[in-house]
Amino acid sequence: MTMDFLRPATWAEALEAKAERPGAVPVQGGTDVMVELNFDVRRPDALLDLNRVAALGEWSAEEDGRLRVGAGVTYARLIAELGDRLPGLAQAARTVGSPQIRNRGTVGGNLGAASPAGDGHPPLLAAGAEIEVESAARGVRMIPAEEFYLGVKRSALEPDELIRAFWTRPAGGPQYFSKVGTRNAMVIAVCSFALALHPAERRAGTGIGSAAPTPRRAVAAEEFLAAELDWDTGRLDPGLPRRFGELAAGAASPIDDVRGTAAYRRHAVAVLARRTLTWAWHDLWAAGPHEGPHDGPRGRVRRPGGPVAPGDPGDPEKPRREAG
Amino acid sequence: MKTEARPSVGAALERVEGVEKVTGRARYAYENFPDELAYAVPVQATVARGTVLAADVDAVVRLPGVIAAVWHGNAPRLAPADNAELAVLQSDRVSYRGQYVAVVVAETLQCAREAARLLRIDYDAEPHDVELRADHPEMYRPDRVNAGYPADTELGDPDAALAAAPVLVDATYRTPAEHNNPMEPHATVAVWSGDGLTLHDSTQGVSALRETIAPLFGMPPENVRVISPHVGGGFGSKGAALPPVVLAALAAKHAGRPVKLAVTRQQMFAVTGYRTPTIQRVRLGADTGGRLTAIVHEAFEQSSRLREFAEQTTTPTRVMYAAPDRRTAHRLVRLDVPTPAWMRAPGEAPGMFALESAMDELAVACGIDPVELRIRNEPAAEPESGLPFSSRNLVACLREGARRFGWAGRDPTPAARTRGRMLVGTGVAASTYPVYRRPSRASARCDPDDRFTVRIAAADIGTGARTILTQVAADALRVTPDRVRVEVGDTALPAASLAGGSAGTASWGTAVVRACEALLEELDRRGGDVPAEGLEATADTAEEVGEQPEYARHAFGAQFAEVGVDLDTGEARVLRLLGVFAAGRIVNPVTARSQFVGGMTMGMSMALLEESVMDHEFGDYLNHDLAQYHVPTAMDLPDVQAYWIEEDDPHLNPLGAKGIGEIGIVGTAAAVANAVHHATGVRVRDLPIRLDKLVR
Ligand SMILES: Cc1cc2nc3c(=O)[nH]c(=O)nc-3n(C[C@H](O)[C@H](O)[C@H](O)COP(=O)(O)OP(=O)(O)OC[C@H]3O[C@@H](n4cnc5c(N)ncnc54)[C@H](O)[C@@H]3O)c2cc1C
Repeated sequence: MTMDFLRPATWAEALEAKAERPGAVPVQGGTDVMVELNFDVRRPDALLDLNRVAALGEWSAEEDGRLRVGAGVTYARLIAELGDRLPGLAQAARTVGSPQIRNRGTVGGNLGAASPAGDGHPPLLAAGAEIEVESAARGVRMIPAEEFYLGVKRSALEPDELIRAFWTRPAGGPQYFSKVGTRNAMVIAVCSFALALHPAERRAGTGIGSAAPTPRRAVAAEEFLAAELDWDTGRLDPGLPRRFGELAAGAASPIDDVRGTAAYRRHAVAVLARRTLTWAWHDLWAAGPHEGPHDGPRGRVRRPGGPVAPGDPGDPEKPRREAG
Repeated sequence: MKTEARPSVGAALERVEGVEKVTGRARYAYENFPDELAYAVPVQATVARGTVLAADVDAVVRLPGVIAAVWHGNAPRLAPADNAELAVLQSDRVSYRGQYVAVVVAETLQCAREAARLLRIDYDAEPHDVELRADHPEMYRPDRVNAGYPADTELGDPDAALAAAPVLVDATYRTPAEHNNPMEPHATVAVWSGDGLTLHDSTQGVSALRETIAPLFGMPPENVRVISPHVGGGFGSKGAALPPVVLAALAAKHAGRPVKLAVTRQQMFAVTGYRTPTIQRVRLGADTGGRLTAIVHEAFEQSSRLREFAEQTTTPTRVMYAAPDRRTAHRLVRLDVPTPAWMRAPGEAPGMFALESAMDELAVACGIDPVELRIRNEPAAEPESGLPFSSRNLVACLREGARRFGWAGRDPTPAARTRGRMLVGTGVAASTYPVYRRPSRASARCDPDDRFTVRIAAADIGTGARTILTQVAADALRVTPDRVRVEVGDTALPAASLAGGSAGTASWGTAVVRACEALLEELDRRGGDVPAEGLEATADTAEEVGEQPEYARHAFGAQFAEVGVDLDTGEARVLRLLGVFAAGRIVNPVTARSQFVGGMTMGMSMALLEESVMDHEFGDYLNHDLAQYHVPTAMDLPDVQAYWIEEDDPHLNPLGAKGIGEIGIVGTAAAVANAVHHATGVRVRDLPIRLDKLVR
């Protein structure tokens, strides 16, 4: 049996190739695809190498104020080039695999794989990102992240479509990602949680990873925050993070596996939710009430060298894990 | 010729094959490409117990590129083997899931893989039993346990002593099945010519492998040559012959072609051995001052239907602490599982996790510092045999470790220290490992250019053996090491013991020293003249090793750990690990440090990460790849330090060296678990310390 290796040079060619051969499996970084081929999980009759499509490796600030980040932008570049504007996603990116994986792997590939444990998903959900997909036949579709994940490793992508980019607003407030794992690097999340504060809209976004068949938002928890957070004075009722954690845990539907029990995961989701909220809220108000949410973007600049938030050794409450 | 040099033993000689390795020129077993090479891919049983009814080999050999498909129905016959695991494709019985039931040989690896996947095998499956339980009705007492120790020992009346003891610790500890996972998976290139067989194999001992393989194929050992100059780690899993090497030789014979067989990482979870899970009950009786009056250590383990492999789990308890009344015991049950084998301090590592955890529990029960508790129970002679120790510096290791670690003034209260959202604690454990020495041969040769060549069929599995033997030879020859070349890893060289039991340096070092001495004598006799054809001398240490006076010979050590446990998520991390060892003379501080640090890292890995999870429904290990079977990354042990005590032990070998390969592992898991208890107040008695065990 042979396998064709298609190498389109442009986006248009890539879309044509995918239209002609919907069974062709796209390859970006290959850090998921090659493992699957190696393990004989799948045997496509063609591979569609996207690495020559330069446009996929680009990102831009768009007129509507959002960032459009090409599906082929690697984690390493995302951290270096967009860490200040997408802090939640950058934190997640830092926990992905090892330097080698971060040099090859992409958010586009994470989306393509649509694993419930993919670290890119919770921050995309929390930020309210949209996924730009395209086919030669029907053109562009914008899919909100929360509608993208359909089941374990299943997404809303049609067989003739490719992922072009994701769109998201630069952080308008503090964002945090936190992940529980059995070791400090090269670790699939036992569970993860992302939180983004949207002070201008007086609400928060959430994303749960590795604790349900798909990455998902904790909608009731978000509604609770929108209703209960004191956006005027910044006062945080001590019971509030706990209740938020409970609601987040309630949104999870985890299973037992070799990485952890369902009960543990539910517990850990609550912890992560509580934590990320406390950090984010603290950051938002750290500069003093006059720099509160109404000041918009200023609220997000938190400390010198600000965007690389986690792991600040001076603050033990901050997540310490950063993959090497 | 000039024969003077500063001593090389003790110096930090760089790895002599380092450049070869980092430039990729060092050739490993897999990297041999003889003419006409074909590829073998095994087929593994998909039932855990039953019989193979049929294999449609005819359909498969018709596939393009396929040369042969072999199953028990058409396999070359092997001579009966002591170890039934090696009777590969000799019967229709399936004894565990993943056992080899067929092999396909093809022109390319891809063809072979595809054909192996397509080969249809029909089974008659039977219900399997893969669960180790201490109360399993088929538990029995093996005659002996690994390394030849008696299964049970007893002194005095331990039951009465326990009943009378003012302080009692009675606890059951569990360690999971674990797999070795060396970086380089097992690989063989098998080449037949006439009735001779050459094996390029990734092995810890070429001589032993030849002795096992030759009779299987009805040949004298001389007809088999095993070549293995470089090995990418073994940790025990490449010590004894395993099914893959037999299968490669058998496939090559059947196909009439040289054959390459590389075990995949996933296959390694079935066919290359593992550490048995253990259930261990430890009972310690003591007076209120912490002096032990009774020690009872009983272990329950598993082996396969094919072969009895009984790990010597409780043997370190026979060595460690003084107590008049004592018992150790091993019980084994044969299940439908692969055969366990040597893995990273077999016996000592899991056994000392239990004993040293129990000692920590005793320290807590008596309110005595755990370092002090161990010092109080220091024996004057080996507790069970009564033999004098050739040297024993456990107390010095404990004291030196405590000093370096900053143990003094430790508040023993559990769950009393936080750093941010992290509970912090410290723990200590002792370690021990026997000093073995096995007969070996070596040759030493001098050429007219005043260069020396030392030959010995030893194995350098990444430890630095080649380097330290160069140092040993240089000193014995009284020259600088750059004039000495050491050749290892080939049965064409003088036969040597395998790299196992941390005995390489002692065993091979003795043979190298004796060969070099013999060469110098011969040179002296000739007034220093080297003939044009060179001069060679050999040595065989069988007699010397056989006649060594009786002593209790063991290395000792102490490990100290500091851990942090996330208050809310239960994530446990080792912040600091420090070990001090007393292991005789240290031949090379750089390679020695790597052995100690590597060992401690494995011990930490045993404490927190490693666990092969048995799938009871299907009967095999579930997490059979490195994405799911976790070992530490460089990010997981930020601070690990190894030190050693100078030890001058005249009763060992001409080097005065004890083994250092495995002792680093022993004790470390308990030190970490004890630190977790100190941090959290939670005593985890079943490894690994998964995060969900620390959250309540
Ligand atoms: C050692 C190791 C460690 C890892 N650690 C982590 C980790 O910590 N966290 C984590 O989340 N992941 C981890 N991964 C998984 C993987 O690296 C990530 O999912 C990564 O984001 C995949 O990106 P990629 O570009 O390599 O994808 P690829 O492997 O190229 O593709 C992944 C999937 O997406 C599809 N695809 C790729 N591009 C497109 C496109 N433009 N349009 C449509 N479909 C597309 C592919 O067909 C495939 O199905 C790890 C993988 C390895 C090997």
